Amino acid sequence: MRLGGDPVGRWGLSLLAVAGVLGVILAIHGWAGRGSGIVPVAAPGGTSSAGPSAVGASSGASATPSAHAATPAAPTASPSSSTGPLLSAQPYASYAFQVWPGTLSTAAKQALTGLTVSVRRQSAGLSVTAGVVGQASASPHVYQTGARVYVVEASMGDDSGNSDYNMGDDGLVVTDSAGRIVP
Amino acid sequence: MSPARGGPAGRPGRAGAGAAARAPAAAGADATSAADRAARLAAEWGPVAGRVLLALVLAWFGYHELVQPGLWTGYVPVLSSTSTLAVILVLAHGWVLLMVAVALGAGIAPRAAALLAAALLLEIVISLAVTGGLSDLTLRDVGVLGLAVCLTGISHQRLALRR
Repeated sequence: MRLGGDPVGRWGLSLLAVAGVLGVILAIHGWAGRGSGIVPVAAPGGTSSAGPSAVGASSGASATPSAHAATPAAPTASPSSSTGPLLSAQPYASYAFQVWPGTLSTAAKQALTGLTVSVRRQSAGLSVTAGVVGQASASPHVYQTGARVYVVEASMGDDSGNSDYNMGDDGLVVTDSAGRIVP
Repeated sequence: MSPARGGPAGRPGRAGAGAAARAPAAAGADATSAADRAARLAAEWGPVAGRVLLALVLAWFGYHELVQPGLWTGYVPVLSSTSTLAVILVLAHGWVLLMVAVALGAGIAPRAAALLAAALLLEIVISLAVTGGLSDLTLRDVGVLGLAVCLTGISHQRLALRR
């Protein structure tokens, strides 16, 4: 058999068949795990659970600068106080870069590419606004004083200049002073 | 031009000078043949290196698209990154990348595999250019596309599985 002018024999076809089956198995694995992404994404309305959720799923950790952040969120009237699991225990912990407090690290600056994250100290607590560059920011969420804000970026390879080509691996996480994720 | 030609080695009656001159001439010839050998080696094995390295790139992306499709749905144009169809498309894309990577790596119909890789990369480049304009990411993929296009034209390759 010839393919594109090159001969393809039994060994070649067998190898391709094995690779094809392996690919299908990996795809089934990926399909089954599509609901357990490593990056947290918040619900547009701000109601969320603290655990990690699938990219684009309807639960997450906090106001998230994902593609869905453009959806207006209901303003939070009082500071969030309930806490969830430790950020350090989450699979995406190694991809979380601290935005507040303190000065931004180089990695955090790069992780913020394509996102607009604003943190302001208020009398009621910490006001956090997040959005995507070029899109309207969501309404601010207010957290208790002492909260820490992290940007999550699983892969920096999709950032170019001031654009983030793939928001699917981005997120924003707010923790309390003990490192527990605040919904 | 050969370094030996035009030297004083051929002059009559100057055996000593000729012998002295022959040594650098021979060294020059050796250098030329070494350069020729290196060029031949590069011509022979360069396509294999390019093929295997391109296969590594495609395999890496294919594997990750298959095991974590949710991280890649953001690249699917038009569709929402949260849609089921976007996940299915990413999985299909990852599967094709993996197959092309295996074909390139093993040298199974390498030109056809390179052509398919070029088509996939062209699609990626166009998609990136449309969504984000010309950027470092886009131009990097243009370079990889160039490698794939180069491989489509090389008919006789080493380490190709033809049986």
